[in-house]
Amino acid sequence: MADTITFGKVTAVPIAPVRGKGYWASVITRLVHDPVAMAALAVILTIVLAAIFAPYLGLADPYRGSILRRLRPIGFTGYPFGSDELGRDMLTRLIYGGRLSLVMGVTPVLLAFFVGSTTGIVAAYIGGWVNMVVMRVIDVFFAFPSVLLAIALSGALGAGIVNSIVSLTIVFIPQIARIAEAVTTQTRNRDFVEAARISGAGTLTIIRVHVLGNVLGPIFVYATSLISVSMILSSGLSFLGLGVKPPDPEWGLMLNTLRTAIYSQPLVAALPGAMIFMTSISFNLFSDGLRTAMEVRQ
Amino acid sequence: MRHAALALILLSTFHHVAAAQGTLRIAMTAADIPLTTGQTDNGGEGQRFMGYTIYDALINWDLSSATKPSVLVPGLAESWGLDPNDTTKTKWIFKLRPGVHFHDGSDFTADAVVWNLDKLLKADSVQYDPRQSAQGKSRIPAVASYRTVNKLTLEITTKSPDATLPYQIAWILMSSPANWETLGKNWEAVAKTPSGTGPWKLASFVPHERAELTPNQDYWDKARIPKLDKMILLPMPEVNARVAALRSGQVDWIEAPSPDAVKSLTDASFKIVTNAYPHNWTWHLSRVEGSPWNDIRIRKAANLAIDRDGMKELLAGLMIPAKGFLPPGHQWFGHPTFTVEYNPDEARQLMKEAGYTPEKPLVTKVLISPSGSGQMQPLPMNELVQQNLADIGIKVDFEVVEWNQLINIWRAGATDPSARGATAINFTYFIQDPFTGLIRHVQCNLAAPNGTNWGHYCDADMDALSNQVRNTFDPDAQTAILQKMHEKYVDDALFLMVTHDVNARAMSQKVKGFVQAQNWFQDFSPITMDK
Repeated sequence: MADTITFGKVTAVPIAPVRGKGYWASVITRLVHDPVAMAALAVILTIVLAAIFAPYLGLADPYRGSILRRLRPIGFTGYPFGSDELGRDMLTRLIYGGRLSLVMGVTPVLLAFFVGSTTGIVAAYIGGWVNMVVMRVIDVFFAFPSVLLAIALSGALGAGIVNSIVSLTIVFIPQIARIAEAVTTQTRNRDFVEAARISGAGTLTIIRVHVLGNVLGPIFVYATSLISVSMILSSGLSFLGLGVKPPDPEWGLMLNTLRTAIYSQPLVAALPGAMIFMTSISFNLFSDGLRTAMEVRQ
Repeated sequence: MRHAALALILLSTFHHVAAAQGTLRIAMTAADIPLTTGQTDNGGEGQRFMGYTIYDALINWDLSSATKPSVLVPGLAESWGLDPNDTTKTKWIFKLRPGVHFHDGSDFTADAVVWNLDKLLKADSVQYDPRQSAQGKSRIPAVASYRTVNKLTLEITTKSPDATLPYQIAWILMSSPANWETLGKNWEAVAKTPSGTGPWKLASFVPHERAELTPNQDYWDKARIPKLDKMILLPMPEVNARVAALRSGQVDWIEAPSPDAVKSLTDASFKIVTNAYPHNWTWHLSRVEGSPWNDIRIRKAANLAIDRDGMKELLAGLMIPAKGFLPPGHQWFGHPTFTVEYNPDEARQLMKEAGYTPEKPLVTKVLISPSGSGQMQPLPMNELVQQNLADIGIKVDFEVVEWNQLINIWRAGATDPSARGATAINFTYFIQDPFTGLIRHVQCNLAAPNGTNWGHYCDADMDALSNQVRNTFDPDAQTAILQKMHEKYVDDALFLMVTHDVNARAMSQKVKGFVQAQNWFQDFSPITMDK
């Protein structure tokens, strides 16, 4: 019905099942009606907002403490979440710690999303030997477990926030590129892409108009599921001394410095781990909800 | 007849009880079993568990007392001293102990000593072992040459007069040449079945898992034949894992429990054994051109800024606050005029004179590690130091590097690019003898990477004192010079002197007879296990 064919000229008319405004509206509607995803989003937003507005919340100094009041239990007067090994307020440190933990969790995934998606989409669309070379290089990275690769790269680059972000980005690029390549390969063989090609559309136009709209969604959902992994890995790097440097609060580093208190103040020592767990599982649950909401058949 | 049989049974039972003194299981902080072939790796802990157990040195440490500092005592050499006929004071004669055998039954002789020194120092010798050489060569920098005089007499010539030679020789452990020959001249094979002259024999060994030692009943020092049936060493680098292993009964003894676990361990009836020992926890300051630590006011201010009582609280009392580079009461401490104490007001005044305030601080970078042998609790301890220094106007940025990487940076020196522009390094020191304790950090010609003077400190007066120590063979006179040297260390505030460890170890009530010497090394021979 939409196809108009005239001799001597092919008029390209959108025939692809491109998900329009109605699609995204239905995704949001489904998401809003998913109580688990919404609860996860609420947790994430609370942590993010608390981290952003921490200086305005009337908290104690995250860097100052009294050694005489070290390792106070949860609920101790003036220390609702206890105090750490140097007598600093744990609530303050946990809220401020969210800043670096979130930055180190989200930034590598965002960077890897852009680089990995581009790599995977271009490799899949061009195909042939380009695809083969790119995918074999990515296979090399897949030969190493992510944790080991992250530690090795951080060890080689040296400790620090920027180097941790770089190493985690390198760890995630192959994973995202692999997904991008797979979904793009499926899409490029679809009839609507073929039709666009026959109609004379250029490669960049086809990728921008027909491919991206259909592949970015699945890649994005996959990338959001990596945020939790990224947070755990970045915390692990900080735990090993390869990430954030003292005295900056960061959950992985806090877990390390408090680990010896596990026998004297186990609940306080477990708090940074609980924050990592809660945040990463929230990102996972939200990612699951997003994926379910996007499984809409038109 | 029945009575005789009963008596025989009872006798054999009592004999068994008398002989069986149990098995001691120790969790070490090392990540692997220390090298078993002679010169151990894994620092002081390696020498403690796999060095002075299986092997002896020509000169040993007296580890029998908990109440006085350890001194050198005859080991495989019965006596030693300068050759009275040598006017250069570089020739030493060692009279070796007769009748000593290696575990494989071969004789210990002067040739065996020469063979062992070649193993470390002569790269073209057949028995040269790079792994052992890496551990042992730097311990004997004074040795120029050596030779067998006769079967039980050895001569060692030093590069220049050096009264610290006996301390250096105490590091060098003697493994059996005959055993190495028998095992096809293969050090890998020797690692599995080593042979020394020490009070313990290695019965079995699984890398990364465990080593089992049994008594050498033919040990030459009958007073030090081990009373235990067996001693099992388990590498367990994670501190919480060690505590859990002790609490669950997997081991009977753990090295270096975390201070925060001490109360829970004592509440559960475990013993915490501590003692002073020659260890210090410092910031080794860079003295290269441009380092802020070249200003004595800043060095003194930093030393006055440290709240050592607060740090003692942090470490649950498991430390001795520094009063100098050496522990208080040490025979070489002397009488420094600069008092190392917590005095932030005076520290701020000194910083103000140097041109810095908390509002306009001096900004500098310091290398630290997240863990490491002897480093105690480096992250929280360094954070506390960082807070204390911020209060007087020194803003410290940490460069955190892995422990082995930190050691490499330390060996390379403050001018090496690997130091990344840091002006100090948090390093703990073995300060057991004049050379390792004082000389190696400050002698001009030992500036890293030639030696371990990391900060490239160089001072003519200090060099003169070092040379005097090396040239003074009378122990009392040498002690007086070492005191002067230490006084200069403190009065010039050459290091950020923070604390000394107390060598804490936790053990089950079943462990009896252990005497914790004031030493990095310990004697396991008197220990027994209650049923």
